[in-house]
Amino acid sequence: MTSLPRPVPVPDDASAGFWAAAAEHVLALAKCSRCEAISHPPDVVCPHCRSTRPGFVFTPVDGRGTIRSWTIMRQSFLPGFDGEVPFVLVDVELSAHPDIRLIGRLVDGAEAPIRLGAEVRPAFEDIGQGYSVPAFALEQPR
Amino acid sequence: MTGRFEASNQVAVAGYAQSPVTRHSDQTLGALAMETARSAIEDAGLVVGDVDGFVTSSLFPTAGAHSAEDGVSVVSANWLAGHLGVNPRYAAGFQGFGQIPGAVSLAVNAVASGAAKYVLVHRALHNPRGRYHENPIEEAPGSQQWTVPQGYFGPLAMIALAYNEYVQRYGASREAMAAVVSEARKNGARIPWSYWHAKPLPASEYLDAPMINDPICRYDCDIPVDGVAAFLFTSAERARDLPHQPVYVAGYATGAPMRHRLPLHWPLDDIMEVASETTRRLWERSGVQPREVDLPQVYDGFSPFVYFWMEALGLCPAGEAHRMVLDGGIDSDRAGAVPVLSGGGALGNGRMHGVPQMLECYLQLAGRAGERQRAKASIGLACHSSPHFGGAVVYASEPF
Ligand SMILES: [Zn+2]
Repeated sequence: MTSLPRPVPVPDDASAGFWAAAAEHVLALAKCSRCEAISHPPDVVCPHCRSTRPGFVFTPVDGRGTIRSWTIMRQSFLPGFDGEVPFVLVDVELSAHPDIRLIGRLVDGAEAPIRLGAEVRPAFEDIGQGYSVPAFALEQPR
Repeated sequence: MTGRFEASNQVAVAGYAQSPVTRHSDQTLGALAMETARSAIEDAGLVVGDVDGFVTSSLFPTAGAHSAEDGVSVVSANWLAGHLGVNPRYAAGFQGFGQIPGAVSLAVNAVASGAAKYVLVHRALHNPRGRYHENPIEEAPGSQQWTVPQGYFGPLAMIALAYNEYVQRYGASREAMAAVVSEARKNGARIPWSYWHAKPLPASEYLDAPMINDPICRYDCDIPVDGVAAFLFTSAERARDLPHQPVYVAGYATGAPMRHRLPLHWPLDDIMEVASETTRRLWERSGVQPREVDLPQVYDGFSPFVYFWMEALGLCPAGEAHRMVLDGGIDSDRAGAVPVLSGGGALGNGRMHGVPQMLECYLQLAGRAGERQRAKASIGLACHSSPHFGGAVVYASEPF
């Protein structure tokens, strides 16, 4: 029995810069060309200045942050994850952009010591077909 | 714009019907909806030809790859009217979330404005064959690309993140949630049409259940069912000439716009911030103070919503709902408790969306709850969905 692959993103005009940067293991988020605020995911309008022509440019950001919540996925309704469970998804607040929250896999695994407020840094999962998905890794305690 | 709803207490519920709630009905959903509609109209002392308004929300709540077919997996207002042989003056479907408060608001507005005299609100829920949320997608286009490649998908993961944020911040225990779920099942077990009739859930069974997406286990989610409910709305004046004691709609409120986030990402602070606006408007529009509500019915399609609604309604301070539950504060059999799940909710009836909450308000305030009738029930409040996303309706046994 061959296992199905994980779903891959389908980059479009509004997201191509994000996935191109991720493929290079760089976290780049949408920056409004009117007010220069960062938002994610890129919306139809800029959520900060409400410009209807935000001209978003994907800009590398400091992807370090803190864990605001997490869940251990012991079952997935998606194809391609049966061999991956259990895995941890973390809800991360970016330290440099506290109004942005990202969700990604914690690459340290389901047994890792997770706690609220734990510090994480960006990591990337290479899922094939040239795609890398932003994820997170626990910072080593200093 | 501030102030009380101008049509407060001018529209009333005059009758109802509720089908049996089953895993899979032996009838097609549309047929079940027609029978339920006819029963509700008869219950209100009317005939089908009297009904000139039909309102529903026909959302089919699944993340799975099931198609929605009118009359089979959903039942729209016009489908029902047409099959009953009525050409209604007013037919509408509520498109947002908080489908029950949303549909009730359309019906109330239609009656208050004179668009229709007798409006039937129905809700028909279908449980498709096969895994409910299973989705065989291989590619994630559009908004899905931001979360699906990571493996974040479906309502269980969605509620798990919000709930774990609550658990970690406030130290809520699994024992407290076991008490919530057993309370819903205890009350649902007393309801003849409930899927869980005569099947209470011991707290120990909840505690033994394996996690699906921590801290969510199967008992934290309502079970998908086939079932239909219908309610007949008319003016307060006309309702007083009908057989049953009217139950008046004092006011309603639905959720406010939320911050832009990842798909299905509901940070706890986002939920509670908008929730406080939902409830602020509810008190203002209904003219009711929180302490006057003797029958709040919170929504519990996912068990953590019980905490979120309790706190949003001001039944306890933020972060304290789990302690109130452990102290017996929501036990419907305990004097002085706030019976927030006395109607069994979604966990105690099956996935009937906000119907159990609305039905409990109606039955208790109309004095029609039979053996379950509570001594004091004058102001009811029926919630649906998450407090930031859905809405609530305040009902009154007497106009004020
Ligand atoms: Zn901007």
